[in-house]
Amino acid sequence: MRFRFCGDLDCPDWVLAEISTLAKISSVKLKLICAQVLKDLQGEGIDYEKILKLTSDARFESGDVKATIAVLSFILSSAAKHSVDGDSLSSELQQLGLPKEHATGLCRSYEEKQIPLQDCLRACSLRLNRLDSVSWRVDQTLSSSELQQVNEPLVHLKFNVRDGDGGVTEPFAITVSAEKFRVLLEELRQAQAMMKTLN
Amino acid sequence: MLLVLSEEHKEHLGFLPRVDSAVVGEFGRIAVEFLRKGTNPKIYEAAARKLNVNSEIIQHGVEGLTYLLTESSKLMISEIDFQDSVLVLGFSEELNKLLLQLYLDNRKEIRSILSELAPQLPSYHGLEWRLDVQLASRSLRQQIKPAVTVKLHLDQNGDQTTKILQTDPATLLHLIQQLEQALGEMKTNHCRRIVRNIK
Repeated sequence: MRFRFCGDLDCPDWVLAEISTLAKISSVKLKLICAQVLKDLQGEGIDYEKILKLTSDARFESGDVKATIAVLSFILSSAAKHSVDGDSLSSELQQLGLPKEHATGLCRSYEEKQIPLQDCLRACSLRLNRLDSVSWRVDQTLSSSELQQVNEPLVHLKFNVRDGDGGVTEPFAITVSAEKFRVLLEELRQAQAMMKTLN
Repeated sequence: MLLVLSEEHKEHLGFLPRVDSAVVGEFGRIAVEFLRKGTNPKIYEAAARKLNVNSEIIQHGVEGLTYLLTESSKLMISEIDFQDSVLVLGFSEELNKLLLQLYLDNRKEIRSILSELAPQLPSYHGLEWRLDVQLASRSLRQQIKPAVTVKLHLDQNGDQTTKILQTDPATLLHLIQQLEQALGEMKTNHCRRIVRNIK
């Protein structure tokens, strides 16, 4: 059976197995746990104590609590990944055996936070490195050991490059002569014009 | 197959008949503990004081015992071979039986510890990927060149490294095909026969 929220593939066996665990919690509590998991997926941290309190009625063991969080994280992030709308997700979850109220509650929480979640996922997509900041300085070379009167402008450029994983920022400095700098600027302007047409 | 003990080893083990069997049992326990967690020289001092001998003799005794156990476990020698190997040392019947029991009780655990010492290649930890399309470059406009960038996370003995790779979709498809063929090999009769016989 192909599910849109699994990227048009089969649903993983472990997700199927844990749907019955989700059904043991009341739909109201499930919605609250969803809110916590959504916070975690957006990088705001998870309040494990709250989830333990919400699952205490269903008398979950620690393994069940972790399974609940894992399966909800998978469903919500996978649905956001494949841009599944709330209604389709609800019907697919019901096909897997999740009761109607639980599915509706889950999908309502999902719909509220779908756009911010997708923004977060977009931000942590693979990036090799990124430009943090640029600083520049224009100097005038007056004289050198080769020629007494030089009188030429020189541009110093410093790029601060941040490593892909949000790690250390490394500086990268170059000096450019006036002509070379004009060429660089012209080429970059052409690239910028091209990026504008794509946007 | 018999264990051949060097003269020095026999000399170190020569300390064991001089103490009673409870102490030998204790040394055996210390030897296995050291194999599990690493040596602790303070224990030698404490034992030396209690038995009123030089701590170096105690250390040699425990080390000799450890070596006897690891060599026997490594080669997985049978009971009879172990008894014959130990006979060479000229110990009492009681001591021989004690050593045999020590070997049989701890053999499995020692073998599992020894298996962890084999050299390890970097193993798969995770994978991130990204699909880009190159639309233009400084030298050529109006291009369409798709490329898949992959960040492979590897784990070797706890050290995490990353490898960045890039490929075009055709090569990626070829790669997938080769890997699926490799997986398919497990289903051939040849592999099935071997797997059945190992089990």
